[in-house]
Amino acid sequence: MKPTAREWLRQRAHPHRHWLWLSAAGSLIAAGATIGVAGIIALAVHRALFEPDRLDWTAVLLGGLGLIGLRYAAQALRDLAGQRLAHDVKGRLRRELLRRARETGPARLATQATTGEWIERFQARGEDLTGYYARYLPAMQAVILIPLAILITVFWLDWLAGLLLLFAAPLIPAFMAIVGMGAEQIHRQQQEEEDRLAGHFLDRIRALDWLRRARVLDATEAEVVERSHQQRRLTMRTLRVAFLSSAVMEFFSAVAIGMVAIYVGFALFGALDYGPAVDLTLFTGLFVLLLAPEYFLPLREFAQSYHDRAGALAAAEALAPLAEPVSTAAPDDARPQAAPSEDLLVLEEVSVHYPGQTEPALARTTLAIQPGESIAITGPSGAGKSTLLALCAGFLVPDGGRVHRHADAQHFVWIGQDAHLFHGTLRENLQLARGDTIPDAEMANALGQAGLPLQAAELPDGLDTAIGEQRRGLSGGQAQRVAIARGLLSAHRLWLLDEPTSALDHETEHALLDTLFELAHRHRLTLVVASHEAAVRRRCQRILALGDARDA
Amino acid sequence: MHKDWRCDLHFVRTVFRQRRFWYWGAWALLALTWIAGIVLLALSGWFITATALAGAGVLATLDLYVPSGGIRTAAISRTLARYSERVVSHEAVLRSLADLRSRTFAGLAARPAHWIRTYRSGDLQTRLTGDIDTLDAMPLRVVGPIVAAVLSLLITLTLALWLAPWPAAALLVAAGGLTLLVSLLLAWLGQRHSRELVQARANERIALSDYIGGLAELIAFQRAAETEQALRARHADHARRLTRQESVGALADPVVQAAVAVSSLLMLLLALHWYMQGLISGPVAVLLPLMTLGLGEVLGSLPGAWWRTGESLEAAQRVRHIVEASPDRQGKAGYPAPDGSPRLSTQGLVIGFESHRPLSAPLDLALEPGMPLVVTAPSGRGKSTLLDTLAGEQPTLAGSVLLDATAIERIDPDQRYARISYLPQSVHLPDARIRDILAPERGSHPDEALWDALHRVDLASRVASSSEGLDTRIGEGGRRLSGGQRQRLALAALTLQDRPIVLLDEPFSGLDLSTQRRVLESLQPWLEQRQCVLVTHAPEMLPVHWQRRSLPRAGTDSRSAAKGGESP
Repeated sequence: MKPTAREWLRQRAHPHRHWLWLSAAGSLIAAGATIGVAGIIALAVHRALFEPDRLDWTAVLLGGLGLIGLRYAAQALRDLAGQRLAHDVKGRLRRELLRRARETGPARLATQATTGEWIERFQARGEDLTGYYARYLPAMQAVILIPLAILITVFWLDWLAGLLLLFAAPLIPAFMAIVGMGAEQIHRQQQEEEDRLAGHFLDRIRALDWLRRARVLDATEAEVVERSHQQRRLTMRTLRVAFLSSAVMEFFSAVAIGMVAIYVGFALFGALDYGPAVDLTLFTGLFVLLLAPEYFLPLREFAQSYHDRAGALAAAEALAPLAEPVSTAAPDDARPQAAPSEDLLVLEEVSVHYPGQTEPALARTTLAIQPGESIAITGPSGAGKSTLLALCAGFLVPDGGRVHRHADAQHFVWIGQDAHLFHGTLRENLQLARGDTIPDAEMANALGQAGLPLQAAELPDGLDTAIGEQRRGLSGGQAQRVAIARGLLSAHRLWLLDEPTSALDHETEHALLDTLFELAHRHRLTLVVASHEAAVRRRCQRILALGDARDA
Repeated sequence: MHKDWRCDLHFVRTVFRQRRFWYWGAWALLALTWIAGIVLLALSGWFITATALAGAGVLATLDLYVPSGGIRTAAISRTLARYSERVVSHEAVLRSLADLRSRTFAGLAARPAHWIRTYRSGDLQTRLTGDIDTLDAMPLRVVGPIVAAVLSLLITLTLALWLAPWPAAALLVAAGGLTLLVSLLLAWLGQRHSRELVQARANERIALSDYIGGLAELIAFQRAAETEQALRARHADHARRLTRQESVGALADPVVQAAVAVSSLLMLLLALHWYMQGLISGPVAVLLPLMTLGLGEVLGSLPGAWWRTGESLEAAQRVRHIVEASPDRQGKAGYPAPDGSPRLSTQGLVIGFESHRPLSAPLDLALEPGMPLVVTAPSGRGKSTLLDTLAGEQPTLAGSVLLDATAIERIDPDQRYARISYLPQSVHLPDARIRDILAPERGSHPDEALWDALHRVDLASRVASSSEGLDTRIGEGGRRLSGGQRQRLALAALTLQDRPIVLLDEPFSGLDLSTQRRVLESLQPWLEQRQCVLVTHAPEMLPVHWQRRSLPRAGTDSRSAAKGGESP
């Protein structure tokens, strides 16, 4: 069974729990030192007022300084342990994400998230976990440990004052529930409202061209302002109620401190003659009074860290699926085996089932690929063209059936709908094809064969032209030509192409296919092309029609 | 650099000044919350010491009820002040957010269209909304705590000067000064590398997009494991530095609190000393250190305030650069458009983005009503850029685009669009009702006119079939419509705009043949009444009597093409 987001967050901390022990120790030491400081101050005041001869100035100064130092050192230790915990959890998670991405392979990865989403999760959602481990978990330890330690001390000093504190926080868990509901409600509602408003604003900015041409910029600006104010009124209506829950906590703590002070005062004055009130001294009274604010402090910190939890839970839901181990439990006979015959690659009765989908992506399909032939894989969208190609590449392991792979098919060239050009120069992109350094002349030759000579206007700096993410300066067709040149340089003979022309207009498509098939003929390449374009079908020697195959 | 920083600060001030009464209210309430907390603690200490002395018979008389009433008042006003502070500050921020959005939108709208296009990438736009949100931190988490801390400190100082000899006040000033110094130091330590960290994060993003986006290629060329290792090392380094920065931030709180606690201890010893010398009373001797202790909450908020300053100013800088349009451009584009139905023409027009790589040879065009001009060229030759340039959205590389005799870039954009309707190939429609897309000015057209327009583009039956009719929302970027429907809806809106010049970029490319034919047939009379330029790679669909022209290629063969091109 899949763990809930909360369990997942806990599980991620498990391998690094030594930091949690350290932060708990920090909390406990800090609580002890806090109690010690309060005791020293109370004792100093008591002695100064009633037994001036017994007041030891140096002991108070040194003891006080020492305990203050200890308290804040322990608190710093707690905070740093939390930071380290967050660092380690995030570090391990991100290492796993990187490895999982590679193991999952591009085919399955694409079903999980787009590249942008994946990066967003890796960077931003990963960072959202920080607060949970660095603040929320330590604050949760503190909210249990510190008030408990103080409560025990106060009960030992004066059980009536202890009862006052105990009742002021009518069972801390109940408090926590109030705070939790309030914080979560605020967080979610405000987030939703803000997202909606930001969405509207972003939409209008994106449509700026249209709005300008329609001559309604001023009206739209007024609309943006009006929407903001409308949302403000709505948000404030919820916030005014939601803030009450923390106000209740604040109220209880302030009143409790006041009550303790008044109780102690009346007892010292002699106005109370009940229970421990009779024996109360200035020492115990002041001691208790100094501890009262410390009793509520962790509660407030916990409330503040609660929204960290809400953010982390949302992040966990996005991250958990990406970090799941890839199922390697493919049946034994599905492992690639050496092809028995002259075939380059044989898929025998292969089936692929994506998790969470009722229909198989590919059902019992057979394909044998001979060296040097060109095969078009056609079919309506959703028929499994890309899945079949991913099987050929080894990006996917079939759920049923066999894959026989000749040694020559271990290495291949892959060209997708938009060939990925890596951030850097043209030279760096081409160099990717091989481990050894490729001479410039060979690169120029490959580019020329691919129909993008170095003299082209789009390559002003030749091999040093910067290309990258946004494919700056190169059109879609030219990017595909760079990919073809890269494929040529790799000298691999098996080329797998997934919808290589679907992002291009017809003219460019024909020109690109002419180049590709001409090169395939000249270099005796094996082409497997997934495409629904007639232009591809016409040029291939053989066609595997997927939709029909299943019907038959 | 330094001057920039002052400009950013000035920008932030002008934005938030609009709501200054709300902010002062929030700051005053924050100060009240803190002061009530200090009073609660100090008065409690004074009270129990006084009662202890009275109980022991040292103090003759003591009114129990006034101080205990004071304690209760402080307790309740603290709660009320905190609650009101949160309500008021959120109200203030949400109002400022509305102001900021309006400013940002106006600023973006005042920019030339081609400038915004370089800004089109989703990442930057998302960052813009993020930056606007970061800016709120300025009044509430930076200025607010500083102002309220100063107010609280002033009140405790007054109390100290009134109740005790001057060293008490001096100690408080020292505690405040020390905190300020420590928090500034820590903020500097932590922020020293923040710019590098932002850059490292951006680089990591690029590397990640290469890894994930190019995973198929990396696996094919057996580079995936190697790239993963490199990314892993890069990330570990980045994370280590980030954690170090955050740890410095986390340390600020204990350091400040320790400084406050030590001050309280010193104050205690001083006060007890003065008490024994008979300079102050016993209850006041307890009140002073407790008051100092109460400052912990106040001073503890300062490191965070400094910490956020850098972040907020950086956000302010980015927003400011967008919002403040450059003045020279505004000055230039002030001409009104010629009246009536001015003629659009070009003289020696060269289009393109960079002067060393023009997309076309010099081009002379003169448009006439009744004779639509069809421009064809292979892809990548700049058909779309031509229309952008004709619409005045893209600067010319050479030559000029004229509206009658006025150069188009000198005309105020809004005036320009009073004469020119332009439909580019892909258009991002706002998420609104169909009615608002067709006639953005409310009430400018009766419903029958809207339905007529929808009929012209063969979209009426589709709209009528949905239950909300003209009130149907089209979704973000029009995603509830297909690409072809979006294009036809935009065409319908164009016919309602009814301007003398119409520029169309592949207006029928997303439509199947029969729809294309129907739409073209019903639009043909309308188009032929106007000066129309239509670019397409499939001119065979269009009426044969329309003028055709191919875009002359830039470079060696350009001169002959320019000379040989049929004159319009």
